[in-house]
Amino acid sequence: MLRYLLIRVLRAFITISLVVTFAFIVLRMSGDPAVSIMGDDASAAAMEAFRREWGLDQSIWMQYFLYIAAICHGDFGQSMRGGGSALELVLSRVPATVMLTLPALLLKVAIGIPAGIYAALHRDRTIDQGVMVAAVAGYTIPSFVLGLVLVQIFAIWVPMLPTGGTGSLPHLILPVVTLGVGGAAILARFVRSAMLEVLGQPYIRTASAKGIPWAVVVRGHALPNAAIPTVTIIGFMVGNLIAGSVVTESVFSWPGVGNLLVVSVAARDLAVVQCILLFVAVTMVLSNLVVDFLYGVLDPRLSSGNSTAGN
Amino acid sequence: MSVIQTLGEQIADKAKRSSSRPIPLPVMAGILWIALIVLVAVLADWIAPYHYTALDLPNRLSGPFQPQHWLGTDELGRDVLSRLIYSVRISVVVALGATLISAVLGTTLGFMAAHFRGAVEHFILVLVDFQAAMPFLILSLSVLAFFGSSLPLFIALMGFYGWERYARVARGLAISASAQGYAGAVRQLGATPRRIYLRHILPNVFSTLIVLMTLTFPEIILMESSLSFLGLGVQPPMTSLGNMVGYGRDYMKIAPWIMFAPAALIVMTTLSVSLLGDWLRDRLDKGLQ
Amino acid sequence: MTPAILELQGISRSYATRQGLLGRKLRFRAVDEVSLSLEAGQTLALVGESGSGKSTTGRVALGLEPADHGAVRFRGTDLSQIDTASWRKLRIEMQMIFQDPLSALDRRLTILEQVREPLDIHDIGPAKEREAVASAMLASVGLHASNATKRPGQLSGGQRQRAVLARALVVQPALLVCDEPVSALDVSIQAQVVNLLTDLQASMKLSLLFISHDLKVVRQISQRVAVMYLGRIVEVGDTQAVLSNPAHPYSRALVSAVPVPGRPVGERLILDGEPPNPVARPSGCAFHPRCPFTRPDCRRFTPELTPLGDGRTVACHVVTPGKVRS
Repeated sequence: MLRYLLIRVLRAFITISLVVTFAFIVLRMSGDPAVSIMGDDASAAAMEAFRREWGLDQSIWMQYFLYIAAICHGDFGQSMRGGGSALELVLSRVPATVMLTLPALLLKVAIGIPAGIYAALHRDRTIDQGVMVAAVAGYTIPSFVLGLVLVQIFAIWVPMLPTGGTGSLPHLILPVVTLGVGGAAILARFVRSAMLEVLGQPYIRTASAKGIPWAVVVRGHALPNAAIPTVTIIGFMVGNLIAGSVVTESVFSWPGVGNLLVVSVAARDLAVVQCILLFVAVTMVLSNLVVDFLYGVLDPRLSSGNSTAGN
Repeated sequence: MSVIQTLGEQIADKAKRSSSRPIPLPVMAGILWIALIVLVAVLADWIAPYHYTALDLPNRLSGPFQPQHWLGTDELGRDVLSRLIYSVRISVVVALGATLISAVLGTTLGFMAAHFRGAVEHFILVLVDFQAAMPFLILSLSVLAFFGSSLPLFIALMGFYGWERYARVARGLAISASAQGYAGAVRQLGATPRRIYLRHILPNVFSTLIVLMTLTFPEIILMESSLSFLGLGVQPPMTSLGNMVGYGRDYMKIAPWIMFAPAALIVMTTLSVSLLGDWLRDRLDKGLQ
Repeated sequence: MTPAILELQGISRSYATRQGLLGRKLRFRAVDEVSLSLEAGQTLALVGESGSGKSTTGRVALGLEPADHGAVRFRGTDLSQIDTASWRKLRIEMQMIFQDPLSALDRRLTILEQVREPLDIHDIGPAKEREAVASAMLASVGLHASNATKRPGQLSGGQRQRAVLARALVVQPALLVCDEPVSALDVSIQAQVVNLLTDLQASMKLSLLFISHDLKVVRQISQRVAVMYLGRIVEVGDTQAVLSNPAHPYSRALVSAVPVPGRPVGERLILDGEPPNPVARPSGCAFHPRCPFTRPDCRRFTPELTPLGDGRTVACHVVTPGKVRS
């Protein structure tokens, strides 16, 4: 178990290093970093200071190390548009994103899991097919289309809710629904197939043949075993929260990190862009690690600490 | 090795089976829609009533269901139907190009990893993990931030979507083929690696790759639409489906058709390809059992 | 004396296995100081349990895997390096057939296409005639012409093995290595395929290296036999001599387990212990933990192959006392 976790931590570290390297390479390839980060109209003195700090006059390896050092200090450069530290700007937007994505996550789980379980238990009947069609529709419809359709219906034709922006509970409803539907659909499909796979196992048939009531079999055997892969995918969704919210935040002009990313990309505000890139990487990696840990705890095959069974 | 055996069985039996098992109605509808889309993309120049930049200012923002402009006009008086048709072509071309690039790139890297093993394989696997771990949207936004949105660059960028899936599959199948199976036997006969991969391994991998491509294709369309919607994908004067939705959004209140027509098209197309891909994958899975 | 067509001298090959991602790397010797020679037109059988290293020896003999030490000579010359152009050219002379014919064939292509392929690879003969040559080969392995257009999945096990044989022999090689070619077949089919092999050997002047664990088949097909245990050869000699009067304790155990029709069942020599783990080699003579005749020397010194006088060589302290390797 400990070795299992150690390997996962190592992989997480490698992923982050790769993202940092990726950012570094892309930054260097796109032109003079001083101009990219500070903008064309920064003063010559400021540029010089920047160059010295980032070691742009030194060897590429030195630059690489200085870059890593700067990032570890949280120094991604100044935001070109607003001034001020890029990191601070990004962090200031996090609460807004959380306010959006957390309820959305709850929505995904609250709808997706029961739907998936229900569909699996009533396989191939109308309900199952209905759920599956709805699920396919749910994740095929791009979030911007769904968001705009919802806005059109609920904010324009029937002006119940605001079209965008933030400030009150009604503002929250449409964005959360938009964000939640796609994930709910994916989760429903996944839970359904996980349940189906578990239900097809011989031990389920044995339990039922022993005379145990079906509801108890499902609750005691099927659900816990299907929970393990489900936890993984929920963890993946958590890690993907920011990426998933990019489009929705743009549709609803929601002032979160995703929106900031789009705006910064359009304005070529590279300091902010690389900051968000790393921020996303770190959140993804951390949530994956938490999932790995939970997996190790939940899955008895891993937590029994068998060293004889090779990985 | 058993994967190859059963895949092969599936392919060998397909001729026998395909005529006996009917295609479900939704999948059939999906196939027809896709065929329609492809037709539209190919024949755009002939079937579009106007060029996509043709202006008709006196008639700007006029509604659909008119004889002159079946789907109405946008804020510059451009015919929405024509723009839709050309958008289909551009979105399809981008997605198709990207899918092919991704498939070739991924398969080649997968084969290389399987063939050379050692450090090369480790390096490629690390890249695969990296690509699989990071959300593509974030990565591509970063690249677009640094390099801008010219069309060739954009297609190349989209070409990196999903390559890791092909790489994993290709590598796995190539390894199991070389270890004990026919690829090892043919190598032993004295065949060059090129012959082994092109004549033996690739054709056996082909059906899985095709399924992967049909599954990835709608995802790429969605990715391109999202990026174009955000204004960072296909740039004007070129028009794409996401592009149209993005710019049509400003006129949602007074001219919703500008936005809805392309949105509906996106949904129908991705839905169709998803249904088709799911069905193909189901059939392949059944063959594996 | 006809020169040996294949010679292995002191071949060793070890593999490294790794326990998990962060585990240690363990080396074990699959083949340890093996020397063999095969006369042209003859059959040498290689016998042993799984893990004895016989398959690996076969692969090294063909040049499919490199030997860590020692030399492999085909017709007197060292084998070329693997996967080079000259190595590929050498494939025309030396071929292999395998235990599982289904996995050795490409499921998608017809039998005829696959039998024809070696001719295409090595550009043998005019292209127009290659199909006829392949068809003729199919006929000589006893496959009816109607099978030519079938795919491997549509044939029976015996037919597939014949197809693999046809493919291997279509280039008229001088040496054929057979790695457990009949073990996966029904007993009745086994006999047919073995007979086919002996017929082809006579008509094509083939030299066979026949790897098997089945002594009945070995008796039928080979003139000489080498017994392997844990990567080392423990006994070599004429088949008749070794199988009717085995010298090494391990050979005796093997032979006693196979009843011979017409002869009363002798006392069975049952071995103690479990088949050994190649990674954890016993010291001295690798067989000593299971040997019923073990002596103190056996644990300390590895026995060398020493001649017994009737053409056989044995590596055993009990049989040939006094010959030790320090």
